[in-house]
This record gives sequence, structure tokens and C-alpha cells, in this order.
Amino acid sequence: MAEPHHNVIIGHGSAGNGAATTLRERDPDCRITIINMGSLPFYNRYDLPRVFQDCDDWRDILAHPPSYYDEQRITLRRNSRVVDVDGRARTITFAHNEVMHYDRLLVCAGGRGYLPEELSDYRHLMHGFGSFEAAVSMREALSDGGTVIMLGGDMIGLDLARTLVATGRRVVLVANDYTFWPHRVAADERDGHLHALTHMGIEVRDGAHPIAVEAVGESGSARRLVFEDGATLEGDVVMPFYGLVPSVEFMLRSGVDIERGLLVDPWLRTTDENIWAAGDVCQIWSDEEKAYRFYYGWTNVRVMGEVVARNVTGADETFAGIEDERLRVDEKGHIYSPFWEH
Amino acid sequence: MNEISGPVYLEEKLKEIRGDGHLDYRSQALPTWCPGCGYFSVSEGVTKALIGLGIPQHNVVVVSGIGCASRFPFFLKTYGFHTLHGRTLPVATGVKQANDALTVLAVGGDGDAFAIGAGHIPHAARRNVDITYLMLDNGIYGLTKGQTSPTSSLGFVTSTTPYENRDLPLNPLMMLLSYRASWVGQGYAGKPHDLERLIAEAIAHRGFSYLHVLSPCVTFDKTDKTYANLDLEVRDLPDDHDPADLMAAMAVAAKPETPALGVFYREDRPTLGDAMREIIARAGGEASAAAAE
Amino acid sequence: MKHNDIQIAICGSAGDGTIAAGDILKRAMARAGYKVIAFDLYPAEIRGFGKCVARVRITTEQAYSLKRHSDVLVSLDDSHAIPHVGEVRDYGAVIYDDNPIARLPEGGHMTAHVRPSQVPYGLSQRQISELATGAGRSRNIVILGYLAGLYGFPVAQFRQVIEAKFRTKAAAVTEGNLRAFDAGFEAGAATFKLDDVVLAPPAHGEEGAKTIMMTGNGAVVRGCLDAGIETFFGYPITPATTIMERLAREMPKRGGRLLQTEDEISAISATLGAGYAGARAATATSGPGLALMVEMLGLGVMAEVPAVVFVSQRGGPSTGMPTKTEQSDLNLAVFGGAGDAQRIVLAPTNVEGCYRCAGKAFELAEAHQTPVIVLMDLYLSNRYETVVPPAANPFAPKGAKTLDKVTAGETYRRYAATADHVSPRTLPGQEGGMHAITGLEHDEFGRPSDQAKVHMAMSAKRHDKLKAAVEHPDLTVCKRFGDEGPVDVGILGWGSNFGEILEAMYATQDEGIRCAAMKVVMLSPLPLERIAAFLADCKEVLVPELNYEGQFANLITGALGRPVTRLTRVTGAPMEVEEILQVVRSLAGARTAA
Repeated sequence: MAEPHHNVIIGHGSAGNGAATTLRERDPDCRITIINMGSLPFYNRYDLPRVFQDCDDWRDILAHPPSYYDEQRITLRRNSRVVDVDGRARTITFAHNEVMHYDRLLVCAGGRGYLPEELSDYRHLMHGFGSFEAAVSMREALSDGGTVIMLGGDMIGLDLARTLVATGRRVVLVANDYTFWPHRVAADERDGHLHALTHMGIEVRDGAHPIAVEAVGESGSARRLVFEDGATLEGDVVMPFYGLVPSVEFMLRSGVDIERGLLVDPWLRTTDENIWAAGDVCQIWSDEEKAYRFYYGWTNVRVMGEVVARNVTGADETFAGIEDERLRVDEKGHIYSPFWEH
Repeated sequence: MNEISGPVYLEEKLKEIRGDGHLDYRSQALPTWCPGCGYFSVSEGVTKALIGLGIPQHNVVVVSGIGCASRFPFFLKTYGFHTLHGRTLPVATGVKQANDALTVLAVGGDGDAFAIGAGHIPHAARRNVDITYLMLDNGIYGLTKGQTSPTSSLGFVTSTTPYENRDLPLNPLMMLLSYRASWVGQGYAGKPHDLERLIAEAIAHRGFSYLHVLSPCVTFDKTDKTYANLDLEVRDLPDDHDPADLMAAMAVAAKPETPALGVFYREDRPTLGDAMREIIARAGGEASAAAAE
Repeated sequence: MKHNDIQIAICGSAGDGTIAAGDILKRAMARAGYKVIAFDLYPAEIRGFGKCVARVRITTEQAYSLKRHSDVLVSLDDSHAIPHVGEVRDYGAVIYDDNPIARLPEGGHMTAHVRPSQVPYGLSQRQISELATGAGRSRNIVILGYLAGLYGFPVAQFRQVIEAKFRTKAAAVTEGNLRAFDAGFEAGAATFKLDDVVLAPPAHGEEGAKTIMMTGNGAVVRGCLDAGIETFFGYPITPATTIMERLAREMPKRGGRLLQTEDEISAISATLGAGYAGARAATATSGPGLALMVEMLGLGVMAEVPAVVFVSQRGGPSTGMPTKTEQSDLNLAVFGGAGDAQRIVLAPTNVEGCYRCAGKAFELAEAHQTPVIVLMDLYLSNRYETVVPPAANPFAPKGAKTLDKVTAGETYRRYAATADHVSPRTLPGQEGGMHAITGLEHDEFGRPSDQAKVHMAMSAKRHDKLKAAVEHPDLTVCKRFGDEGPVDVGILGWGSNFGEILEAMYATQDEGIRCAAMKVVMLSPLPLERIAAFLADCKEVLVPELNYEGQFANLITGALGRPVTRLTRVTGAPMEVEEILQVVRSLAGARTAA
């Protein structure tokens, strides 16, 4: 009897989760392994602002109860970081020195937050929001009514800012080119959009250029942002939201084509016939634009995961992103993005 | 054998016997040994030895196993422990460990010692437990009415060997010498005065003393190890025998067809009691009265 | 989730310092004032690569057994620890090395096996150890620091225990290990805690300084020494050997004499000889050794000689399973030997009980002039529990029932009839007290006799004199726990198994079942009145025990005629609390349904 196919999914975000559930629906016999750098089973990262509202325990934000994975016979590999993929041998190597064989590989590794070079020395003084642990750490660093200094302000950051303002915290946004990423905002729209942010309760500083972060206050628990012109800004935490960079380092020797992300055809297949990709990690060929482009937002990412799983199991679907990708100001004078839909 | 030189008057004899107090060493119980049994000589010898050495009855413990010889404790008025077949020596060791000041005699027959009990002998010997082992060898199991024992001769016919015994008899003296028992001697119930002296020396020796006593079973062995045969076979150890020479003792012991009588081997080395005292001292403890000699 | 109860399992190979890590953990937490129960699993082979598991249960209130599920598993070697991943409960933690030195095949690393409901923590154990000490050998200390940092364990006690443990080595070793601990602590404190394993501060922290961790065998040794043991003879046999080894070091310091004999028969023989001569004498063995000893035990019973025999049961029959636990020597201990040879048998249920029964055994042996068996098992012998040593020596010195002076002119009667059937005895060395004792039936003087009247009278004497033992004022002979008065289910048990029984019984209280448990410590003679009174209160009776035939159930049913439900298991491991609980529930349910 032939060994069942081993489908390995790298990344347990919305794309990876969508892929896994769809794979299991369509192929009840295959082996499915999901590899996750983090410690927890799947939860929707777009849900993380809930730590400021009703959610204190990670068990309450899991998308599936732990028993789900046993029922679906999906193997979870957590705390596991892939450091190498060999497309010819069809193996992946973990940071913990284990080698795993795959029949088909679905790369849903997503992206990580970008930080400009000049601020990279201060990474350890900043707070991220990419995981449950980071979100809770940040919440604990922030007192009631505390101040968040947000740098850049991509759509993930701005979504968080809404929640912070709604729960009585102060948000000061240091705006720059990354504000509203991934939306490309025309110069004539920018002021209007920034004004909408102010209308939402976010304080906006535009045109200021931060160069350093310092720990200040009692036991160094607060932060001070230093600008190029010598001005400073004090708050409880400094959070960078400069958009995402696809996580592709581990794929460099796999043999697939990479630009900024993994290059895939409209069926989400890479240049290696056994390697597929979905989510923030991949650039999909667009016949209209005659270029590879990214698709962002929870809806896109989830649908990509489902599509790639269907194609891996014999379907012939091309991916079509959500229709309306535009950033707009709604009737309340607030910013609204279709990427926030989840 | 006492030579009778003149008339013996009963009262005088009784005074003589009672006078030296050795009747005190006799219990009220009548011995269960058959008339003519060699064991009577041994109990006389033990009694005289204890008196001669000035050891009071209450400081003596006689330990025995099972068998005719093992009935010993009942016929002496000392402390006694009639234990189980073959277990005389470890029990005796326990008594000595509890109270090293006691004089402990272990008594057993050839079956008790060399069949079931054989495994315990080397250890008592190598530890040099300061006891006296009187082994009364009649080459037969008398109490159970006449089966072969480990010292029965080849060809001996008994109820369990109607077609003759085929097992080579053990050589207890060579065994005990190889175990480095620190005092090894052999006596004969048919020579009671020599036997008395050997018993006294064995008891006096500081360390494990093994006295092999050839002692015929008058009831169940009428053909082999009888007084008549043994009278002719036994001889004294040569005058020039050096009891410090282990191999010389072995050489003599290797000729059981002419059993030699006397002290085969003796050496002085620390006893188990000495070892215990030294260990206690080394550990920084204080030897209690019971551990003292 | 109760925040006062966590069980940590550390699993690795013999060379990883697994047992040492568990040792430091339990001692440190005991010093901090927690109650601790610990039991280690050793590899069956002597050679170095076998699996070790150190399990430590830490509680703020007294617990009685280990739990089936651990809250935390620490892997020092994934190949050994992976099979144990299933023992960690949901939302408990699995801690492993995320940077192992060897290249692993697929599935060779712990991350392949952590269940979705468990929380994984990767720690670079080897790397941290190398940074702190220059070698990877202190990984086991690193993980202790990690646990302390992650769960907020008290650090001062860990440092004290590490210093004490390595004090005989070079100072550099202790310093290195302390650095390794600190490095692990930093890593643990910096780790984001995702599991729900929490331990509250100890209830009686101040008692910690006086608390020690002791095994059943260690407690036996302590009891012997406190009772003034004078001679010990023994033969090595698992799991009793450590009793002899420890006494070998300690007895000489107190003037005691210990000898390793050539076999068990010699050991019990010498013990009886020493007992006859008036010493407090003991030996220790396991089932196979006891089987060799029973002939001599019968002699002790017949001749009325005091002796103490410690027996630690293991898997049987015959050579059986030397490193596994069982309770299948009850029949042998209570009945073994030729003829009607009743003796006293005590079966402690916990480590403190081992201490008390050990010392009291010497008292009982002298007071009733008979061998006393203290019956334990491998689990109890090797299980660590927190114990607070008694302030004063609880054991009476020797000298019970001895005759001070023999009336001149009279022949001393060693077996004289008395009101309590125990005849005052003289000891060798005592003037006028000479007598011989024997394994033959005998009259009052000790002279062999097979007369009908004599045998009937002496048989009665030997049996009747023991009856008073159940009324011992100072030793728990049996004890009832749980609901008072009539109950739905009563659990009757003995030995180490009683810990699991108690936990099951307390668990039923949360379920509305009326339940009580009774432990029987004196298995011979049985305290029949009290047991009968207990049984009368119970609608259903459950007798769990670790042997195939239900030996204790047979004993009770034979003595009292009451039918019982048996729960017998011979897995070689302690019974699981859940197993007992399930049967109790079904008995209680059947009752309410009926």
C-alpha cells in the first residue's frame, strides 16, 4: 500500500490554516503537517486587538480547540523554524537540527514587520504586535490611559490604534511613507486621510524623522523617541508599523524564483512543481499588470490558502483577489480599509 | 582410658565427681544418646574443659542444628539454642555479634555440617568468628535411623543406598584447612583423655576453632566407622608436625584412611569481634559493653 | 484548576543527570516549605544509556500519591522523553532542548510529539550550559533554573541545595553549577508563560528549614537507629539493599555491629542468634529472600525469640521483576513457614509510617517475644516524601519482659505460664538463668515434649500473647479516613497503595458520594473488631491491591466472611487514582440505581 502523500505547510497563519482545513476536506488520507515558529495553535492575528477588550487567555482566541487537530489528523509542529528547503531532495531542515521529507510543500510563511536600518539598533526597546505574546507584553507595558508612540502606521497598526483609542489610551502617530501601507495613497489624498485619523482620536505628527529610542522613567519602563531635529516625544511604548517583508530566507536554496516574495503563477504554484505558496509571502503573476504583485488582508490571505489547497489536490483555480482594495474615508470621517475585514 | 588401680568406693567417687562441680554443668534431662555413643565423651570433655578454663555456665551458649549431636544443648546446664538443620554457625555468629563476651560452642553432626550446612562453614571460618565448632562425625544420619551422610564411605549400604553408596566422601579437614580456619584439630571418642585436652585447647583458642571428632554410631553403623575399626586406623600426628605449616597439615589430612589425631593447624589472626571493634573505633563510635570482649 | 499542586517529570538518559536534577528540585522545594512526593524510575540495566524519569509532585497541602498526569515534562533526552509526552495534561508544559547537537531524523525531536493542547518551551540547554560552565554537562542544572524562573520557585533554597550537593567537589564545579542555574533562571524569567501551571507560595514556609526528604528505606534506617539497633545481618537484594548500605555506615558510629552474610538464611539465623542473646537485631530483604527465611522465622515463633525483618516487596513470583513494585508477598509474610506460626506483621502506608513501624517493631518484638515483619514495597522504599523529624525519640529502650533475678534453687522456666502469655526471659550471661531453647515443641522449662496437653497449651500461648498487639497505645494499627458513619462505598487497603486510595476517596467528596477509607497497618494479628465495625458502615466494600489473587481481600473475607469487590492490578507500577475512583463511582452508582 502506498504511503499517503505528505503535505507540509510552512506557516500557521490564516493562509496556512485555510490550506490545512481545505486539504483535509479534499484528501482524507494524506498526511498534513503544519509548521509554526510560534508556540500556540492557530489563532487569527487580526483578532489580536481583542487583548485590549475581552480576551486575556490565549485559549479564548484560538480559532480551533486543540482537539480539532487530532480529529482532523493534522500534525502541528510548533516552536519550529525552517532554516532550509531542498527542492530536489524534497526535504526541509529545522533550526533544531531535524530533517523532514515532504511530497508537496505549501509555503504560507507570511511576512514580518519591516524596520528601517537607522532604527534597527533600537529594536529591543520597541514593542511589536505580531503574536499573542507580543500583544500581551505590550498591553502590560502600557498602563491604563497610557501612551503608544506608533511609527509609520500601516493598516495593521491603524487597526490596533482604533482599539487603543476606544479603550482610553493615547496614540501618537509619527507618520511617514509607510502610513496606510499597503495602500498606495496619492499625494492629494494624504492630508485628507491623515485628517481622518485625527478625527478618529489619533494624534498625528507628520514630517518628523525619528532617529533613536531611549528607555526612561522608573526602572526604564517608559520610552522616549528622539527626532533628527532634537525634539523628543515621551510615551509608554514605541511600536513600529512599517509594513511587512515576506519571510523567504529559508527558501533561498530551494531553487524557486524569488523577487521580494516567492514568485507564483495565478494557480499559486512556484517554479518548483512540488512547491506552492499563499499569503503575504508570495507575489502572484497578474496578467493585467504584467507583473508579480502582493495581495494583503485577511480575506485575500485566507482565500489564497483555500485555493492553493484545492489546486494541490487537483483543482484548476486561479486566484482572484478581493475586488475593492481601496482605502477610503467613511461617512463618520474615519479611515476604512477593506483589508480590515475579518 | 582410666586404669583401675584399686577398689573404687562409691561415696568417694561421688564426692570426687560432685566436688569439682562439673555435675552442675549437667542438666536434669537424660541424654537421648544410645549407650556407647561417642557423644558422651564429648560432653564430658566439654564439661571438664569449661571448668578447667574457669568459664562459668551462665557465660556459655551452646548452639546446635538438627541431629543426634545437635541434642547437645539439652544435656548441659548452660544457655543453649537448638536451631535448624545446618544453621548452627550463622546463629552462633549472631550470638557472638550480640555479646562478644560469651563463650559460644557450636555443635553438630556430619550431616548438619556438611550436607545442608556446608555453605555456612567457609564464611564462619574466613571471618574467624571466635567460636568453637565441635563436629561429631559418625558418617551416618543417626536420628533419622541410618541414611548416608557426606562423610559415609564409598560402598556403605544404608536404607537409601541399598546398592552401595557411590558418592565420594568429603574430606572435612582438608576443607576447613582450605577455608583457613585458624584452629583445626581432630579427636576420637575412643580416646577421651586426649579428646578432653583438644576440646580445652579448641575453646581456649582465640578465633574459629574446628574440632573434628570421630565418634562411632553404635546403633546404625556396625560395619564401617566402628570403634574396632577406628582403634586400628587412628594414629597421633607425628611429633615433628608443625601446626603453623598449612600445607603440611593438608598433606596429613589428605590421608583420611589413617586419621591423624591432634592439632593440625593453628594461627593467630584478628577475630570478627576484633574487626567490629576496629570498625567502630574507625567510625568514631564507642564500643558498647556488648561489643567488648 | 487548583493552584497548589504541580507535578514535574524530568526525563533523560542515565548520563544526563536526570535523577540529580529531580533530587535538587525536591530538596529545594521541601526546604521552601512545600510538601513533596517524588519517585524516580531507574534504567533496568547497569550500563549507562538507559532511561531515567524523576517525578516530583509539589503541593502546599499534604498529598498522598503521584498523579497520573504531570503538569510539566522536562526532556533532557528526546529519545527517552518522547514516549512520556502523553503523560502531560492539557495546557501543561513540555520543555526540551531546541538546539540539540545531533542531526535528527524526522520525528526525532520533541516538537514532533508535543500534543496540540500542550504548551511547548524550547530552551538551548546545552548551549547555555556550555556558556556558563564550559561544558554541556550542566544541562540538568540549567533546566532547574529555567523552571525556577518560569514558575517563580524560591531561588535561595535551590542555591543552598546545589551548594550542599556539590560540596565534596572542587569549588569550580559548584560555582559553575550556580552559574548554570542562574543562566537558566534568566531564560525562564524572560520566557513568556503560556501554560496554566501555577504554584502558590507554601502554606508553612517556616517549617521548611526543618523538613527533610526521605525515602521509605531511609525512614527505616532512621527508625532503626533511633530505636538503638545493635546488630544487623543482611544479604543484598533489590529493593532492600540500601537499608543495609546505610546502616553499614551509620551503625558503627553508634557502636552497632553490621555484617553482610553469605545468604538470607544466614542473615535471619544470625538475627535470631543475636535476638536470643538480647540484642536489638534486624535484617532486611525482599520476597525471594523472605521465602528463604520462613523456616527460621518459624523457629523464632516456636522458640519465642525477638527479631525484626524488613521486607520490601517487588514483582513476583520467584525472581519476578526486581525493579518493579507489587504487593504480592502478604501471604508469605503472614502465613509463611511450617505449622501454625503466627507472627506480627506491620505494613506502613507512607514514609513517616516506615519510620514509626521500624522503631516500634523492635518494641513489639521484645514485648511479645516473636519475630516482627515490617512489610513495605519497592514504591514505598524508593519514594521520597517530606518529613519533619520528631522532636524527641519516640521509641522505648530495650528491656521489656526480661527477668531481673532468678530465684535461687529454682530451675528457671523460660516458658512459664503468665497472665499475658509472655514469659519473662533471661539473657545469656545472666547468672542462674540458664536454659535451652528449641524449635521442637517444649514444656515450660523448654524441654522437648510432644505431649498433647503441652502442644495445645503452648500453641494457645504463642497465639494468645499476640492478641494484645492490636491494642498498642502508641502505634496506629488501623485508621479510618473520610466520611463518618454509614457510607456508600468503603475502601479497605494496606501498604503504599493506600496513598492512591486516599486521593481517590477525597476526590469522591467533590462528587457527592459518601465514601470512607480504612488503612490496616497491622496485618497480623488483624484488628478484627475495628475492621468489622468499619465494614458494617459500608454498603459496598472495595479492596484495591497490587497482586493478582487479592491476598488482602482473601485475608479479610476469610476472617470476617464479608464479600468484597476486588480491584487487583499487577502492572509493576503503582495503581492509578482514576482506576480506583472509577470503581468507587460504579459501586456508588450501582447502589443508587439498585
